[in-house]
Amino acid sequence: MGYIITGLFQAMQLLIHGDGETYSAIAATMIVSTYSMTASLLIGIPSGFFLGYQSFPGKRHVRTLVDTLMSLPTVLVGLLVYALLTYHGPMGHLGLLFTLEGIAIGQTILAIPVVTALTAATIEATDEKLRIALISLGAGRRQLLISTLWEARYGILAAAMNAYGRVLTEVGIAMMVGGNIKWHTRTITTAIALETRKGQFAMGIALGLILLVIAAIVNVALSFLRNRA
Amino acid sequence: MQPPIYQLQNIRKLHGRQLAVDIATLSIPAASITGLVGPNGSGKSSLLKLLAFVDSPSEGDIWFNGVKATRFSASVRFHVCLLPQEPYLLKRSVFDNIAYGLTLRGIRKSRCYQAVMDALSLVGLSGKEFAGRSWYQLSGGEAQRVALAARLALNPEVLILDEPTASVDAASAQQIKSCALNASRDRGVTLVIVSHDWQWLHEISNNVIQMFRGKVIPPYMENIVSGPWLQKSDASWEKPLADGQYLRVSEPPDAGAVAAIPPEAIFVSRTPPLLKPVEHAIQGIVTCMTLETSSGNIRITLKAAELSLSLFIAVDTAQAMNLFPGQRFYIVYPVSSVVWY
Repeated sequence: MGYIITGLFQAMQLLIHGDGETYSAIAATMIVSTYSMTASLLIGIPSGFFLGYQSFPGKRHVRTLVDTLMSLPTVLVGLLVYALLTYHGPMGHLGLLFTLEGIAIGQTILAIPVVTALTAATIEATDEKLRIALISLGAGRRQLLISTLWEARYGILAAAMNAYGRVLTEVGIAMMVGGNIKWHTRTITTAIALETRKGQFAMGIALGLILLVIAAIVNVALSFLRNRA
Repeated sequence: MQPPIYQLQNIRKLHGRQLAVDIATLSIPAASITGLVGPNGSGKSSLLKLLAFVDSPSEGDIWFNGVKATRFSASVRFHVCLLPQEPYLLKRSVFDNIAYGLTLRGIRKSRCYQAVMDALSLVGLSGKEFAGRSWYQLSGGEAQRVALAARLALNPEVLILDEPTASVDAASAQQIKSCALNASRDRGVTLVIVSHDWQWLHEISNNVIQMFRGKVIPPYMENIVSGPWLQKSDASWEKPLADGQYLRVSEPPDAGAVAAIPPEAIFVSRTPPLLKPVEHAIQGIVTCMTLETSSGNIRITLKAAELSLSLFIAVDTAQAMNLFPGQRFYIVYPVSSVVWY
């Protein structure tokens, strides 16, 4: 028990004194999660809107597939992206293996089904009366889309928050595609895994605390949005 | 007579394999009040959605002001408004809800203030008190009135009301009715109304459209009788009523068919009538008398057990017969007049 308390004490010192290695991992995490969230929202929201709003043959099967992909194992995504980005892979010439951009690609694949499925569920849950009200008040096709998204904004924000939580806490993709390179592709989660294996609990606990704070912020924001909705 | 604002031709609307609307031709005059009646599931709401251009027919064409129109057509987009039975208020303030349609018409939100206040005043709500409220801070009646205000603010050519007073308090119902009628009288707005308040509907409407199983039928909707029909030993057909009487009918197409007795085939008698062999009579009580403004006749509704039958008679005749609600009469009709669906 003593080493945990000592680790906690040292963790506070690392955070307070601005330890470079700790903050490098935090920065790497923020950068890749920003990239991956931007891409997954740009792809996932329109896809989710289409999936939730339109009727087309095979929609139920697509919906089931997207729902299943929400629980994609991160190591499987890591493996696939590694295979794509490796030197001999189809995208090897881009030189993205062991880069933050490479991790972001993997995390985007992880987050897209979450954003798509939850956006589709939100749009499906919007009332048929909303569509009638908007058209009846004079909305054209573009305004219908924008206003429907706006009316479903709390649900879509909740979808984004869920995806962010998944991206932020994953370790498989960051480890396999990023390579856990110090000062470069080491993220909070890969750093915790490494430091724990080394028996260096202080940095692991410090980074764990940061993750916990971010998760708390996400959860508080989610609760707030749910209450508003 | 005003030229038709709507002309429908060969309209069919399918929900899956279910035929919801099947209308060969229908015209609705401009600046008129049209009532739409029929039992639940008869296709009234589906027809309203087609008239409001929020839904498209599976087959057929709708002309609006002489121009063939579809959903999102420029000729209808800013001209027709539908107020559903349970309106959807946008997750915004009352002000923003009413201003939404105005901003779609190119009016800046900052310039909508007076129009929003006027619209709230029309529906009997104080602008100062309600404009800043959120959508969830309204009662059912207030929400319905705000939804109506949002439509009146747009000054539409056609206002379509689907059961506008079904789920609101009495004061809101009265306000909604008078607002709709004022819009028709003062601005020449064409009203198309579905309401279970038949008395009100018959009082205000220039024409009443009766619907049954998706079709527009002649006006004897209230005289519809469902099966099952029983064949007697003498080969005649009848339906036993709860009070021991029976309704005789002509031979039905099947034992579960739906019958209608045209109002013009019915007459009433205070004393036991001398029946011809082809006639039948049941006893009923007068429950309602309404003056139809369009024809000048009085609609008499009589109740016999679970049946409700209507007929029309001239005002003079009603006076001569000293008709008033509560009296018992014999309802007489020729068995051969029964129409089958």
